[in-house]
Amino acid sequence: MRETHISRWSKVGTALAVSSAISMISGTAMANDKLVELQQNNENWVMQGKDFSGTHYSTQAQINKKNVEDLRVAWSFSTGVLNGHEGAPLVVDGMMYIHTPFPNNTFAIDLDNPGDIVWEHKPKQDPAARAVACCDVVNRGLAYWPGDENTPAMIVKSQLDGHVVTLNAETGEVHWKVENADISVGQTETAAPFVAKDLVIQGSSGAELGVRGYVTAYDIHTGEMAWRWYATGPDSDVGLADNFNSENPHYGQKGLGTSTWEDDAWKIGGGTNWGWYAYDPDLNMFYYGSGNPAPWNETMRPGDNKWTMTIWGRDLDTGLAKFGYQKTPHDEWDYAGVNVMMLSEQKDKDGKMRKLLTHPDRNGIVYTLDRETGDLVSANKMDDTANWVKKVDLETGLPIRDPEYSTRMGHRSRDVCPSAMGFHNQGFDSYDPERELFYLGLNHLCMDWEPFMLPYRAGQFFVGANVWSYPGPKGDRQNGIGSGQVKAYNAISGDFAWEKMEKFSIWGGTMVTKGGVVFYGTLDGFIKARDADNGDLLWKFKLPSGAIGHPMTYTHEGTQYVAINYGVGGWPAVGLVFDLNDPSAGLGAVGAFKELAKTTQMGGGVMVFSLDGKSPYTSDLSVGEYEM
Amino acid sequence: MKLKTIAVTCSALMMMSGGATVMAYDGTNCEKPGDCWEAKPGFPEKIKGTKYDPKHSEKELNKQQTALDEMEQRNAERVANFKKTGKWEY
Repeated sequence: MRETHISRWSKVGTALAVSSAISMISGTAMANDKLVELQQNNENWVMQGKDFSGTHYSTQAQINKKNVEDLRVAWSFSTGVLNGHEGAPLVVDGMMYIHTPFPNNTFAIDLDNPGDIVWEHKPKQDPAARAVACCDVVNRGLAYWPGDENTPAMIVKSQLDGHVVTLNAETGEVHWKVENADISVGQTETAAPFVAKDLVIQGSSGAELGVRGYVTAYDIHTGEMAWRWYATGPDSDVGLADNFNSENPHYGQKGLGTSTWEDDAWKIGGGTNWGWYAYDPDLNMFYYGSGNPAPWNETMRPGDNKWTMTIWGRDLDTGLAKFGYQKTPHDEWDYAGVNVMMLSEQKDKDGKMRKLLTHPDRNGIVYTLDRETGDLVSANKMDDTANWVKKVDLETGLPIRDPEYSTRMGHRSRDVCPSAMGFHNQGFDSYDPERELFYLGLNHLCMDWEPFMLPYRAGQFFVGANVWSYPGPKGDRQNGIGSGQVKAYNAISGDFAWEKMEKFSIWGGTMVTKGGVVFYGTLDGFIKARDADNGDLLWKFKLPSGAIGHPMTYTHEGTQYVAINYGVGGWPAVGLVFDLNDPSAGLGAVGAFKELAKTTQMGGGVMVFSLDGKSPYTSDLSVGEYEM
Repeated sequence: MKLKTIAVTCSALMMMSGGATVMAYDGTNCEKPGDCWEAKPGFPEKIKGTKYDPKHSEKELNKQQTALDEMEQRNAERVANFKKTGKWEY
């Protein structure tokens, strides 16, 4: 262990030295500034979260609450791939970049003539990757790096088989391709890469196969690994800064990545981070969540299981953690803590302006932290039906659990809320800085849970619990509907400005615009627009297939467009995708969404809308025509 | 201040319950900051040697790290070649 420890530090040191040298040559700051400029320009949607803060907020108002009813299809694109289409396309400098689930194809589309595929990248992958994907073969999207004088602008993608690949944004040519996960031991990649400065940050997937989570940074120019840190294990592996949690020592500090596990269970302890990232350039810190401990059977892993289920605040250059707050110590319900991190600048209840981070967790609590210190500012139930926890003590940071809803061997726990799928899952939500409201797309699901023992074999499923999910108390459990909600949340007061029930989970997240409209997709295949002030339904359109990705918007040639991926799948739709009928199959999802197949079927593509359906083709009928 | 609060809370709970394992586990009875797990009534503190022992194989447990170390090595060789030749070879 000591040798490994020294070796890793030495690797980090070397990598940092190289990285610094390259940065000086290539102008890291310039590339980062350019990325910020692109984020602020409404002609682009340059990253999955819209901006480093992950606001999903656009200042565009051409489409607004008064005219959104006039939205019509402008154009569409079929990816030719089935299965769940999570994430959203990117738009940069007049080009749309579209991704797909496995086999992880990528397309570049010319927005002047969307019928023109400028390039495509179709990787050859080991089909065995599909067998170790826990919940359909999804992918959450692409990242973009704007280039500098030495290296061209690049699209960055992850592949289910574990590769991270950079492509020349203009040509689609592979720049570099590295191995970041090995499917033979259950490691996969479903998370979107995240780019800041000259680093590609990549998460990990596979906790349902006992994969120990890790976060890795690669130099965008060369593909060289800058650093890698783990969710569990010795501090030297987890990457804790000297001042780790010094502002909040009650969260725990050193040595807990091993001492809160029995023996070597941390080596197969999960904590993969397949969700979303945010970055504060002023603090040079990035934020993400580590996921559930493995296996799901809590009896097999005594201890708090640090640092799974943790909100991390890490330094971008070194990856070292300044703070870590574990939301669900010793998880008993698979409340994987990987969900979206949204950054805001707001006055707290005492009127003090603070840099905040808001995170709607799977466990049914929406947390707001001071993102500089990790201080807990608020922690409220996103729905009052969450019952595993009575409340979160803001002084200690501890959830006060209700033992009635605990899980353990030899016992079937009933009516636990939320279900393993969470009251919120991978959806990328939005924050309106003018209204100071977070728009949350939610699940309303509860469950029965019964653990069982199983051995660990690398590369095989390592779950250890049977789960039956179903709509929560506010839904229609008998008929299997009423499993979704949309809410507008004030993180300072803890109040909900409005809330609406939905037929199915809102799996993909929301987008909000200055036009006062909240957009989101539904599993049964609608894209909807609601009034940001009161939640009134203003417009909807039936897509070719269910939506589990998030909407995005951009302006091209003076016209504002709204786009969304369609393609039902992902965890909620595994029953539909793989034709399963046992209600406990699909890790408990099949029963919860048994009605979904009556509303939609598989498909895959992008649908783009504008007012009155204006597009390059309506503006000029000759676009895309054969010319003599 | 917060640490002190935890310590006082923990002590008070210990006195009231007469021991950590008597009360049902609610996650607030901390041994030290960040270490608040307790065995549930009827379950062991340590599972090794009990009927809940998964009897992990050390060989299986180490496979993930071996795979990552080998990937890191292969990637490093690719990067070195890329820096030398300007061409990425997989």
